[in-house]
Amino acid sequence: MPLTDTARRALPSTLSVLSALVLCFAATVVTRGELGIAFDAYVAMLWGAIGDWPRLIDGADAGVILRPLGESATKATLLMFTGLSVAVAFRVGLFNIGAQGQLMVGALAAAVVGAGVNLPAPLHVPACLFAAALGGGLYALGPAWLKWRRGVHEVISTIMLNWVAVALIENWLVVGPLRAQASGDNSISGTAQIQASAELPRLLGDVSRLNLGIVLALLAAVSTWVFLTRYRRGYEWRAVGLSPEAARSAGINVDRAMLEAMVLSGAFAGLAGAVLVMGTELKYPASLGAPYGFDGIAMALIGQGHPLGVMISAILFGGLRAGGTRMQLFGVHKSFPELIQGLALLLVAARMFWEQVVSRVFRQKPEVRP
Amino acid sequence: MQLIVGVLTSVLDAAPALVFAAVGATLSERAGVVNVGVEGMMRAGAFAAAVAALAMPTPLGVLVGALTGALVGALHGWLCIRWRADQVVSGMAINLLMLALGTFLLEALFSSPSGTPSITQVPLWFGHSPFTWFAMVLPFIVHVAVYRTPWGLRLRAVGEKPSAVAAMGVRVSRLRLGAVTLSGALAGLGGASLSTSTLDHFEHHMPSGLGFMAVAAMVFGRWTPLGAAGAATFFAFGNALRIGLASSAPGLLEVIPQGALLALPYALTLVVLAVQGKRAVAAPAALGTPYDPELR
Repeated sequence: MPLTDTARRALPSTLSVLSALVLCFAATVVTRGELGIAFDAYVAMLWGAIGDWPRLIDGADAGVILRPLGESATKATLLMFTGLSVAVAFRVGLFNIGAQGQLMVGALAAAVVGAGVNLPAPLHVPACLFAAALGGGLYALGPAWLKWRRGVHEVISTIMLNWVAVALIENWLVVGPLRAQASGDNSISGTAQIQASAELPRLLGDVSRLNLGIVLALLAAVSTWVFLTRYRRGYEWRAVGLSPEAARSAGINVDRAMLEAMVLSGAFAGLAGAVLVMGTELKYPASLGAPYGFDGIAMALIGQGHPLGVMISAILFGGLRAGGTRMQLFGVHKSFPELIQGLALLLVAARMFWEQVVSRVFRQKPEVRP
Repeated sequence: MQLIVGVLTSVLDAAPALVFAAVGATLSERAGVVNVGVEGMMRAGAFAAAVAALAMPTPLGVLVGALTGALVGALHGWLCIRWRADQVVSGMAINLLMLALGTFLLEALFSSPSGTPSITQVPLWFGHSPFTWFAMVLPFIVHVAVYRTPWGLRLRAVGEKPSAVAAMGVRVSRLRLGAVTLSGALAGLGGASLSTSTLDHFEHHMPSGLGFMAVAAMVFGRWTPLGAAGAATFFAFGNALRIGLASSAPGLLEVIPQGALLALPYALTLVVLAVQGKRAVAAPAALGTPYDPELR
């Protein structure tokens, strides 16, 4: 049976995610010692992700659907932005491990502009987003420049810059100069709370935490896809990613393409920080506390580096993560979806394995890759 | 004076984990396999050692920790060598997987995501943990193994030009897999030292970035065992000095923020790399490229 190109690209990821789901289910069965509990935990995760439909049918209000969907969307927004960040850099052949650091810079920029600048909401929200994108982009310019001028590998330089950001932001700025003034008896950690005009507007009012962020993330994913496939510059980026030498001899300015892609990558990571601050935390907290930037690597790889693939995998894992909080009731830690994600990423990494599986099942030669 | 003694003692106690991991990472990368999964391998070792030490004497637990690290290293090697996975992706996947797996197992085994119960720590030898003494010897052992033995020659060659080693009749894949597994064992040992010697239990955020610092030390030490160990000790010294100053001279830290000092190891590594530039690339030539016998 022949396969279309899209199916061929999507199959390894799909199979990896499914295998990860099954293996993690088995791990739950083993550790909890009972099939039923693992099953209940997975069902709880499902309803936590897509809304509790059985309870709606039993006559509960629409909140049982909208609340979980809002949580899923909030988590998917973050994953989508960080995933796009890593995927865009991938397109020109760069591995941006620094999304974490760029996200922190972006989050701090959004928190500072959100708290310190007085603007009406229609201007304040874009101003914060712009500051975050600019901060993230500039922070990514460093590794791009080091690679371009000094030949420093971007994996090493971005790892270093991640920790520089942690040290300077979380161990100095947020606990020192930018720490919120204590009001009354409450000692507050993190920076000052952003003004109401800088919060991302909620789309469904108080019923659900669903906010504008998901719309922005979807727009970003679709426009990145259009840019890469329909615009000349996007074509040049892809050419650079496939073979820098060939692109250079075709007259494409390889260095400029890498620089631009890295800055856009940093800007996306910065926007991830912005939606985190403006939609969820409402300030830069004492510590971000989760490797959001590294999640982006998983999203980019599981999405096969394709903007729409990233979109789909972010929606899927955003849902799982929102649902994961409900697994606590069954003695499974709420970080369980991260286990699924890590395993799926590990399986996706073994790309050749899936190509062999697919070619054996569908009796086709595996795609020859340079 | 008291400050100096205090700083030196805390270097001796804090450096081993970093030294083991950095020297281990050097082995893997000299064989041509990028290892950014050190953090995950350390975490696996730290967790396994602490859990094993609940049921058996702690030194045996440490062995279990090192073996678990080796197992994770072998997994990384198998993915990168047998399935030609992207080495950076595989390493990061291991980091993310071990981060989540540790939390999952803590909840599943001890119903508390904050850490394992306390264990008896590794007994001291002459006032210091055995890890400290071993960390002083290990870099020299590895140095001799890498630069003075036939195995070391092959190891270095397989990181520079694997086809030449294959032409000699040596199995590239086996040599590389061995190096990555050994690298994992050392990272696991480093992790085990954290949970059985530095502390007396596994804490949920272990090793909290030490693995990445080990990678920095490896690069800073220009991919040599002695250089990596030296850089690791230097980083540990900087950290100890910062903690020492925080307690003895708090006034100074108002002038130089702690965050700036914390950023220093990473910033220094970047500066050194930037200054060296393209002229003196110390990284092995075949680092990061899977060996494909058909592309000779």
